[in-house]
Amino acid sequence: RDELIKGQGRGCLLKEIHLNVTDLGLGYRTKEELIFRYCSGPCYDSETNYDKILNNLTQNKKLGKESPSQTCCRPIAFDDDLSFLDDSLEYHTLKKHSAKKCACV
Amino acid sequence: WEGSWGLYFPQTTYSESIYVGQAAGTPVLQVHAMQERASEQPYFCLYRMPVLKPAAYGSWFHIDTVTGVIYMNKTLDWTDFESIYSSRPVQKGKETMKLTLKVSVDVMSPKKLCSQITNVDVSFTFINATAPTCGKMTLEKLCFPDEVIKPHIKENRMPGTMRQLRRFTHADLCPNYTISYRVEAESPVPFVVNDTTSELVVTAPVDREEKEVYHLMIVCLVRTEETLDTLTNSLHITIYDEDDSPPYVNGTDTEDVLIEFSRSKDTTFGNLFVYDRDTTTYQSQDNYVSTLMTNDSWIKDTFTIEQKFSEEKSIFGNVRGTVYKYKLRLNRNISVDEKRSFQLDYLISDTMFRGPEGTVMLHFNVTILPVPIRFSNITYFFVLSRKSMTYSQIGKVCVDNCLKFKGIEIAYHLELGDRNISANVQSCYTAVDVARNLEDMSGVLYVNDTEPLLRPECQELQYALVAHEQHKQLQAKAIVIIIFEGEVDPLRTEGQRSLACAEKRQRGECETFRGLGTPTGRCQWRQGTGKVISKNYSTCSPDLRTCPNGYCDVIESKNISICPQDCTREPIIGGHEKGLMLGIKAGHGTCYCYSEKCFCEQDYLQENICDDMCKTVIATA
Repeated sequence: RDELIKGQGRGCLLKEIHLNVTDLGLGYRTKEELIFRYCSGPCYDSETNYDKILNNLTQNKKLGKESPSQTCCRPIAFDDDLSFLDDSLEYHTLKKHSAKKCACV
Repeated sequence: WEGSWGLYFPQTTYSESIYVGQAAGTPVLQVHAMQERASEQPYFCLYRMPVLKPAAYGSWFHIDTVTGVIYMNKTLDWTDFESIYSSRPVQKGKETMKLTLKVSVDVMSPKKLCSQITNVDVSFTFINATAPTCGKMTLEKLCFPDEVIKPHIKENRMPGTMRQLRRFTHADLCPNYTISYRVEAESPVPFVVNDTTSELVVTAPVDREEKEVYHLMIVCLVRTEETLDTLTNSLHITIYDEDDSPPYVNGTDTEDVLIEFSRSKDTTFGNLFVYDRDTTTYQSQDNYVSTLMTNDSWIKDTFTIEQKFSEEKSIFGNVRGTVYKYKLRLNRNISVDEKRSFQLDYLISDTMFRGPEGTVMLHFNVTILPVPIRFSNITYFFVLSRKSMTYSQIGKVCVDNCLKFKGIEIAYHLELGDRNISANVQSCYTAVDVARNLEDMSGVLYVNDTEPLLRPECQELQYALVAHEQHKQLQAKAIVIIIFEGEVDPLRTEGQRSLACAEKRQRGECETFRGLGTPTGRCQWRQGTGKVISKNYSTCSPDLRTCPNGYCDVIESKNISICPQDCTREPIIGGHEKGLMLGIKAGHGTCYCYSEKCFCEQDYLQENICDDMCKTVIATA
């Protein structure tokens, strides 16, 4: 159920993977599962003059050791909260844990 | 209308099936009303709600006003069934349909109209078919109703007829059968069957406090020319309660109450129990009235009686009864200097009980002692490092028994111990302040200003600690001596950008950092264990005695940078359990905070310190 934000970042897509909650590495002990959605893909086609200049300056080492972030594929909206019961029968709720919409920002 | 109190239906609903072709004049079912007195002759009628248009099917039936037998008024044909089916479009195509009549009962009197005071629902299931032939009937259907009947009778009432066992509509289908009924039970029961009418009869008044449910077996005997069949069905008759037991005390009716350190409004004292063998079903606080037996207005204004009740079974010989619990409750705070001693009597009366002994007298021997506001420990002595930072906690101060105080307000403040000192030395005294603990009436001394710590003349400070009781304006004084020792931190850099220990994610950088609230001038590292979410998470704190301990104390709440682990209000990122009100209850790996925003995560850097290579080295070493 990939989603494309029209106009920008044709390569930046919402992807999903079926995981156990324990795979998230947050330390919860539970047998529950979830669909984790994430943003991935190149953002070359949404670059501006600003990005080109930055790229040139870092290539020519004009900015010293600094390398400012470039356009990247990130969530611009998150999935609904996820609640689950852990092995000691306590509830936990994860917020902003999974992407709903992606864009090059 | 008084008489109608006594009459009641021993069932909440009656039901029977109606078939096409059921003949006019045939009986359908019989209702019974139980009496309280022999003079209450019941008068039955089909009740029609005056405001509603009477249902057509209502006129298909009539009731014998004396016996309560409902008869068919007309022979039902297919068109009658169609008319009721078409009147409910939703029901079209269904094989059966349930319609309800109301039967009401009142005491017979010459000019009585059909009133609705005591009524019961009688529901008829109209089956869109003719009645089955005798050969197709099962014996169960001949003998017993389709639905489970749960009749009830009230205790202490007149014996009488309570139920018709015969199924009129079905028994007539098999005219060659002789059907009779019999009651069986494990022990003698006050129920028999009237052989001529097939009615179940109560033979004697029953007592709920003796037995709450009678489990009967109804035996149906079906005799044909050749065979005799016996079928049994269980019938459970519930006995309804009424207020026929007086209250009583079991053991003591007196309780000693000492009011000393807990003197706040709504505090309760003592515990006295009153028992009543009646159930709580229609017992309520309204029926049980308790009265303070005093004319003393101070006592009346200060105390009320708290009544709670619960239903118990085991203490009443496995029959439900009520236990009332009485406590003395304060209506207002009692001031610290109040000193009194008196016996407080109160009268409990079961207002619904009709007998003469419906009251119990209970007694509280109340002693109110005054609470002195004083310090037994008149000199507090604390030693602190000169490296300590602002908001370091120095120690606790407490007037005698302050931790037990409820309803006594104490404020603490510090004054100069000696007023004849130079202005220069006086300025030292901004170094320390005292704050009242949030939960109890103790005070917490803390470093308020670190500037004086740098000055040699400020190394020994003597304060007068004043505890001030807020209501009666009582005061107590103690001496607080604080000595700052050791060297001043040479690395002291004023205007550090951030002062929060909680920002530090690793032991090394934590233990070299001068954070806010550190009594030694250095943050302390707590190393957690385990890879799951734990209360013992790794974190950097100004003082591990107070932070993180799951409680945001009065000093920590002065500045969020002191201990955000206990005090944050913001959502926490990463694996965690939130504290009840504030803070982090448990975290995964290391928890660190920037201002009020906290993160908990496993630190991969530390995990990778010992990789496979390293493990081999350790193993071979």
